[in-house]
Amino acid sequence: MLRTHPTLAIETQGLTRRFGQQLAVDGISMHVPARSIYGFLGRNGAGKTTTIKLLLGLLQADAGCAWVAGIDIAQHRQAAARKIGALLEAYGFYGNLSGRENLDLCRRLLGLPTSEIDRVLDVTDMAAHARKRVADFSLGMRQRLGLARAMLGAPPILMLDEPTNGLDPDGIADMRTLLRALPERAGTTVLVSSHLLGEVEQIATHIGILNQGRLVLEGALAALKAEVGHEVALAVGDPERACALAHAKGFAVSRDADALIARFAASENPRDATAALTRLLCLEGVDIHAVTPRQHSLEALYHRNAHPAQ
Amino acid sequence: MTTLPTPAFTTALAVEACKLRRSLALLLAGVAPLLIAVFVFFNLLQMRKPMPWTMALQSAVGIWAFFMLPMSVTALTALIAHTEHGPRSWDYLRALPLPRWHVYAAKVVCALAIVAGMSLLLALLAPLSVQLAGGWAPALAATGPRDIAPFLLLLGRVFVAAWLLIAMQLWVALRHASFVPALAVGIGGTFFAVVATSAKIGMLLPWQLPVNQLASDPQRAQLTLLLGALGGVTVFVLMLWRMGRREVIN
Repeated sequence: MLRTHPTLAIETQGLTRRFGQQLAVDGISMHVPARSIYGFLGRNGAGKTTTIKLLLGLLQADAGCAWVAGIDIAQHRQAAARKIGALLEAYGFYGNLSGRENLDLCRRLLGLPTSEIDRVLDVTDMAAHARKRVADFSLGMRQRLGLARAMLGAPPILMLDEPTNGLDPDGIADMRTLLRALPERAGTTVLVSSHLLGEVEQIATHIGILNQGRLVLEGALAALKAEVGHEVALAVGDPERACALAHAKGFAVSRDADALIARFAASENPRDATAALTRLLCLEGVDIHAVTPRQHSLEALYHRNAHPAQ
Repeated sequence: MTTLPTPAFTTALAVEACKLRRSLALLLAGVAPLLIAVFVFFNLLQMRKPMPWTMALQSAVGIWAFFMLPMSVTALTALIAHTEHGPRSWDYLRALPLPRWHVYAAKVVCALAIVAGMSLLLALLAPLSVQLAGGWAPALAATGPRDIAPFLLLLGRVFVAAWLLIAMQLWVALRHASFVPALAVGIGGTFFAVVATSAKIGMLLPWQLPVNQLASDPQRAQLTLLLGALGGVTVFVLMLWRMGRREVIN
C-alpha cells in the first residue's frame, strides 16, 4: 500500500512487536516529518533499536503498519529500503578489506556509480583514511565510515543508531554540523537514536520519547519546550515564608534547597509574571538575592516523560 | 536517490568473492590440497617398491575424500559464515534493497567454487608430487600408464557427492553465530564417517558420501553420488528459503 502523505518521511500506526512474553514495541504511532531531524530517545531496552529494525524490515511487526516515504515496509521491503540509509549499532565492516573496498561492496549491491564512494568519503572527511584496512580503524573512524556507507546513493531518509558512539569531541562536533546541514542541503530526513540528550537537543527539530515500548511524547522540540511553560529560580532570604506568600497569591511555586522555583503556564507572559511575583515578595519584606530564568532543557522533558514516576 | 534497478545475482556473487580477498578461507583452500600432495610425496619415498600411477593418484583422492574434504568443508563454511558473523554485518546486509536469497545464494556458490578450486588444485598437485617423488628417488618412480582422466573424473564425482555435506555444514554455520555448532557437527560427522567406514548405513551419512566414490561396488558409488547431488540441491534450496525468511535477532 502506498501512502501519499507528502509531509511525513516515516509514519507508523499501532506498530507492535513482542519477543515471547515481552512487549518490546507497544502500539507505536510515530510521525517523522520530511526534512526533519528526529531525535529518538529512550533508556536502554525502551524499544528504540527494535523500532528501527522494524522500520528497516529486519523484524516483522506483530501488529500495526509502518511507511517509509509513503511505502508500506511489510508489503514492499525492497522499495522502502531504497529510500533508507542506515547506520546501525552493530555496523559491520570487513576488517580484511580497506574502507574504500568496504564502501565499494555496498555501492555495487546498490547499483551505484563508482563516483559515489569519493562523494561520501569527502562528506564524512574520510578520504585520507580510505585505503587503510578497516581492522586498523579507530572506533570513531569506523563510525564515520558507517555514516559514509549510509549516505551512499543519497537516500532521502537516514536512520542513525547512536551515530556519535566512539567519536572524540571534535568528531562529535563535525557529526553535529554534518547532520544539521543534511535536511537543507540534500532534503534528507534524519532519524537519530541517541543517549546524548545534549547532542540531540542541539540538532533535533523533532523528538520522540520511548518508555517501555510506548511512545510517550512526540512533536516539534521547540513547541514541546514551550508547552511546558517557564520556570524562574529565586534566591530569597526566607524561602519558607516566601513560598507561603506566593502560594497564598496563587503562584505555582516549590522549594529547591534555598531557592524558590516558580512555574508559569505557557499562556502567561514570563516577564510580567516574574515581575508580579518579585513585587509581591519585596512588598512583604522578603529579601531577593537573585532571579534566574530556567530554560526547559530536553533533559527535563526527557526525564518528565521517560521516567514519569520518578 | 533515483530509482535504480535491483542489481543482478551476479553482483551479489562478485561482492561475495571480493569479501574473501585476503581471508583465511582462501589460505585454507590452498593449504589443504598442498598437505595431501606433501603426504603423497613422502609416502611414495618410504615405499619399498614402486607404486603404479593409478594407485598413487587414487590414494590422494582417498585421503581427500575420506578426511581432508569433510574437515576442510567444516572449516571453510565456518569461515565463510564468520565473514558476516564476526563483524555482525547481517543487519546491514539484510536491510539492503536486494532479495535476501541473493546474499545466501552467493555464499553457496562461493563455497562450492572454493571446494571445486581445491579439487582442481589437488588435481594439479597430486600428479606433480608423484612425478617429483620419482625424480627424487628414481627407483621408486611410479609405474604404469599416467592415466589422468579417470583421476579427474573421480575427483569430480567426489566433489558432486560432497554437495549435501557442504549444504548442511554451510546451513549450520550461517544459522549460528558461534563457531562451535558448525565445528561440532563437522568433527562429529567426520568422526563417525571414519570409524564406521564399512558400516552399510554409513553410505547414508553425508560425511561419507564423497569417499564412497572410491567404492568397489559401482552401484554404491552411483547411489551415493545421486544422494550427495540431489540431497545437496534440496538442502541448498531449503536453506535459501528458510534463511531468507528468518529474523536475525542479536
